[in-house]
Amino acid sequence: MLLAGTLLADGGTLQFHKQAGPFDITLFSAPTPLRAGVADLSVMVQKTPDSASVQDASVNLHLKKSEPGNIVEVIAPATHAKATNKLLYAAHVHLPSAGTWNIDVEVSAAGKTATASGQLAVLPPQAPATAYWGYFALVPFVILLFIFNRWLKRRRRMLYPRPGK
Amino acid sequence: MRIWECLHSGARSSSIVQSLASAALLSWTLDARGIVLLLLVALVYMRGWARMRRLLRDTRDFNRLYAFLAGLAVLFIATESPLDTFDSLFLSAHMAQHLLLMMVAPPLILRGDPVLPILRGLPRRFVKEGLGPFLTWMPLRRTGRFLTSPVFAWCTFAFSTLFWHFPKFYELALHSTTWHGVQHASFFWTGILFWWPIIQPGPGKPKWPSWIAVPYLLFADILNTALSAFFVFSGHLLYPTYEAVRASSLSAQDDQALAGLIMWVPGSLIYLVPAFVLAMRIFSSPAITAAPVRTARARRTGGPSLRLILPRLRRAAQVVMLLIAIAVMADGFYGPQVAALNLAGILPWIHWRALSILALLVVGNLFCMACPFMFVRDLGRKFLPARFRWPRPLRTKWMAAALIVLYLWAYEALELWNSPWLTAWIIAGYFLAALLIDGAFRGATFCKYVCPIGQFHFVSSLISPREVAVKRPEVCKSCGTYDCIRGNEHARGCELYLFQPKKAGNLDCTFCLDCVKACPHDNVSLVSILPAKALIADPYRSSIGKLSKRTDIVVLALLIVFGAFVNAAGMISPVVGWEHSTPANVALFVIMGAVVCPALLVLLSAVFNKLSGAGLNVRDFTRRSALALVPIGVAMWAAHLLFHLATSAAAAIPAIQRAATGAITAMAMPAAPGWLEPAQILLLDAGLLLTLYVSWRIASQYAGRIRATAALVAPWAALSFGLYAVGIWILFQPMQMRGMLH
Repeated sequence: MLLAGTLLADGGTLQFHKQAGPFDITLFSAPTPLRAGVADLSVMVQKTPDSASVQDASVNLHLKKSEPGNIVEVIAPATHAKATNKLLYAAHVHLPSAGTWNIDVEVSAAGKTATASGQLAVLPPQAPATAYWGYFALVPFVILLFIFNRWLKRRRRMLYPRPGK
Repeated sequence: MRIWECLHSGARSSSIVQSLASAALLSWTLDARGIVLLLLVALVYMRGWARMRRLLRDTRDFNRLYAFLAGLAVLFIATESPLDTFDSLFLSAHMAQHLLLMMVAPPLILRGDPVLPILRGLPRRFVKEGLGPFLTWMPLRRTGRFLTSPVFAWCTFAFSTLFWHFPKFYELALHSTTWHGVQHASFFWTGILFWWPIIQPGPGKPKWPSWIAVPYLLFADILNTALSAFFVFSGHLLYPTYEAVRASSLSAQDDQALAGLIMWVPGSLIYLVPAFVLAMRIFSSPAITAAPVRTARARRTGGPSLRLILPRLRRAAQVVMLLIAIAVMADGFYGPQVAALNLAGILPWIHWRALSILALLVVGNLFCMACPFMFVRDLGRKFLPARFRWPRPLRTKWMAAALIVLYLWAYEALELWNSPWLTAWIIAGYFLAALLIDGAFRGATFCKYVCPIGQFHFVSSLISPREVAVKRPEVCKSCGTYDCIRGNEHARGCELYLFQPKKAGNLDCTFCLDCVKACPHDNVSLVSILPAKALIADPYRSSIGKLSKRTDIVVLALLIVFGAFVNAAGMISPVVGWEHSTPANVALFVIMGAVVCPALLVLLSAVFNKLSGAGLNVRDFTRRSALALVPIGVAMWAAHLLFHLATSAAAAIPAIQRAATGAITAMAMPAAPGWLEPAQILLLDAGLLLTLYVSWRIASQYAGRIRATAALVAPWAALSFGLYAVGIWILFQPMQMRGMLH
């Protein structure tokens, strides 16, 4: 399956901001709203006392969703390389279905490990016609402009006929 | 004071500052769409600026250029730099971004006097025929004058500033990418309107007296000061989002105050300094200012003649392509027969196909120009006599058309993309065929009548924006030696028998540049043309005749157009399984999709045209209208091949590594960038619109009135829309990732 290489709005919607052990863990998600398909999950890790950003942590995301007769899991490491904002750790994950996903953000740094948990509400994927309506609307828009252009030309010819015509 | 205390306490904790600083320096948004748009605007402006400068020089020219480019640079910093990345974490960063959008970029851009250079930089015909009717329409001109009047511009700017700083709307923009974009667009464009009455860019004389700018700017500063003071001294947090997460020890309240200071101090300076300067000018004694020095009409000076550069470039490109072709063949024959790890499985099918069609759309038939087969053929000509003439019955495109059908079938039936060995044999066969055919027959027979790749490029380059053509037709009228086709002691003439004064379009032109080298008057070069111009008119073309009489060329073009959809559809989930369930299905699919369907649809359209009773020559009109489908066909090829290039470009790395060193240290994973689907839709949009426009232009040559024209175009427009819909559907189906291990 394809993974999105670049998603805008790094950061995105704040999902939760929790204290876990010695860390403050903040989870962001994009796009807004979250939909089944490719999602950008970003994590900010800070030290609890002074909110100093922890830049050398190891961050892993573990998503789980229960389906009838099945448990779907997605595991992905979050890294600075995938994040546009280098304060954050990001991962591009593929969420195969809509629904409520449980997420555990596991952070390890300076010999300490902590996990913050939460839930993500994921909507069904958008139809291409809805997601890209602006690009499709370009065709009728240009056609209308063309028709208007022709009308203006014809009007000008009638108002200011060329000599001899 | 609290802000400075916080900053100092933060500075004492050097790790916080260091991590913030290094993160800030590296956190650039770098959205491809925004960057491409800015570059396009810059290129159009510079092109128009250079054209205007050739006509008339002004001492202020370079100031205008630098101001405009600086304005675009500021826009880039505002939208792509860490200011954009951190705008949801720091209100102060967000405020700095807005300041650049509203009060720095717009005045710089307007100082560049952008209107005339941009109009001059666009294609002339588009400006005259496309934009001209709108620009001369009085209601629009009156609207423009109203929008840029001081009262309206000031009020709009003030409203936009206040509206978007209301907490409810600011929070809306923070939580929605769409509204955030609307907010930024609103700031920028109201900024353009605001600064317009002050800078009063051309064309034309200034409409407002300069003293108006003083109260105008002072009132704006009063508003700015009031708003800034509210930010600084307000006791409560205006935007709760900034309190939810803090990335530093700077509190949300202090961050808000800092934002207010940024709006207040630099913002006020931007209003007050010009107001002061203008006031000083008005109240000081009138000085005799020298008029800008205008030089005489500048003579056009060119660089080194293209006659010298292009042929050398061509040879160098041919040598490079030959070396690549040899490497690909060698790896195809002797390397591992895993397409994803073999040069012959990757480079021809993923990179070369996509890059050659993208080059066609931007420059022209670059592949034929750099064709390695012709390089070998030229070497072989030293030994082979080329004594015969290609048989007259074969001097058509029918053989090439049959080879294209064969290619469409073989690609899927034999899985050429998955067989490095077969690919290598095809390349070897090409070299041999080019050598033998052109070794036996005179002229570029292989290119003109046989090579399916060449025919594909000839047809596709009918919509290229550049063409090898004469620069000044009057020079050719006085030429009696016809070196471009006969040749001379310096260069051979055109081997495809294209006589330059009668050449129209890129059909049959291999960009070999023999005519450029041979012309003693340096009158042949690569010139810019309107895309698809060659499809609109139907003159007698050298060595081709009239397109309306060439059924073979029309059939070739239709095969390429419908072949785009057949080739792409052959890789999508609904079709792949069915296709390979029995061997005959591939042939059935290709024949039905690329031969039977287009024949039936074109016939149906011709019947509709006949029934419309326009009294036209239906055969000629049908041939020309069928050719008008070329843009949408080429767009489909481009969209499809772009998919493979964008998702699998990195696949070349392990194959090259393995071929060069025998070891692989990195494997490429398929990844579709976010810009891919919009780019594919835009390509199809452009192809459809160009097809519709060409169809309209052709029909209006046969029908005098609009209703009759519409009746003639209707079936072809329906066919075009049908192809567009099918293309969109295909592109949004799961497509096989070819050439990748997955």
